[in-house]
Amino acid sequence: LAEIALEPVEDVEFPDDAHATATGISNPKLAMWVYLASDCLLFGGLISTYLLYRNRPGEIPGLSGNPERISELFDVPFTSMTSFILLMSSLTMVLSVTSAMRDDIARMRLWLGTTALLGMLFLGGQIYEFTEFVHEGLGFTSNVSSSAFFTLTGFHGAHVAVGIIMLLTLIGLSFSRKVQAEAVETIGLYWHFVDIVWVVIFTVVYLIP
Amino acid sequence: LSTTTQDAQGHFGRADADGGGDGRHMGHLDEGHTHGPTDSQYFTIFWVLFGITALEVTTYWWEDWFGQGGWKVAPDDTVRAFGMVLLLILMVIKFALIVGFFMHLRFDSALLRRTFSFGLALGLAVYLITLTSMNFWTYNGNPWFNDPSPPITTTTVVEGG
Repeated sequence: LAEIALEPVEDVEFPDDAHATATGISNPKLAMWVYLASDCLLFGGLISTYLLYRNRPGEIPGLSGNPERISELFDVPFTSMTSFILLMSSLTMVLSVTSAMRDDIARMRLWLGTTALLGMLFLGGQIYEFTEFVHEGLGFTSNVSSSAFFTLTGFHGAHVAVGIIMLLTLIGLSFSRKVQAEAVETIGLYWHFVDIVWVVIFTVVYLIP
Repeated sequence: LSTTTQDAQGHFGRADADGGGDGRHMGHLDEGHTHGPTDSQYFTIFWVLFGITALEVTTYWWEDWFGQGGWKVAPDDTVRAFGMVLLLILMVIKFALIVGFFMHLRFDSALLRRTFSFGLALGLAVYLITLTSMNFWTYNGNPWFNDPSPPITTTTVVEGG
């Protein structure tokens, strides 16, 4: 890792970096980065809202002993497992990008499919977690803490779902036309962003007491 | 401060006046080089991320292990505070590794780095100010802080009763 970190930046380039645009960067790629930068504000707002409201009192039937903290309901070992799944999907995504750059379409499809599958597993885990919370009596409108929690994690889940749709669309398109490596890279950027947002959510919401 | 240039083969590229940015790519485009981490290096980065995540998860039990209910290494509050600081540091490391290597931002154009850094810095600034203005860093014992006051109920006291 240190070897990669110390590698001179000047020696590194990707074939799609030069385009006939004023910036020299392709418009879709630049647009994706602008979108991701703006998404930092969206998730920043949702995370801040959760942090502000997480200790608000409110009756939750499943929490007779400590009704103030919804974090008492969190199943950290289970959520850790889904976090590992999402982390693994980032690896498979990056492998699909390198396969696309080598014009290895079969491998690209394989890794894209694996990424989508891991994304579905993560979403399945989130749906299971939400269902458990509802069974415990923690619904979206139970109290202001639960509203903030479900809004934050729900928005993240919606991002994952959109990512899965994009991955599956890319796989589908690859059968009828040549998929540009840059398209895979751009969707990969979105997918990795979803992963880093989860890195923050997992730490701030689930692990920090 | 950037200009678009065109080489003999008709390819476009950007040369920054400050010497950074994409100008450095111009000389290599026709060679079709694709640098950056190799697949095995991506695996190495993944295992580092995996290890960090595993360490993060263990902090969930630190209070039980190292606190007063366990090996009594330190007071519970100290264990909790240390775990929290470590978690934030590990979160930043994971964030940087994914953005820098998996998203290639370390190897990409300076414009993209600036674009994302601007959004991230703006988000951090706006919400740190928001949290500070809403008294997030101190706890005054009032969980309803910043909410509308609860409705006032009057009680009638019967005199001489």
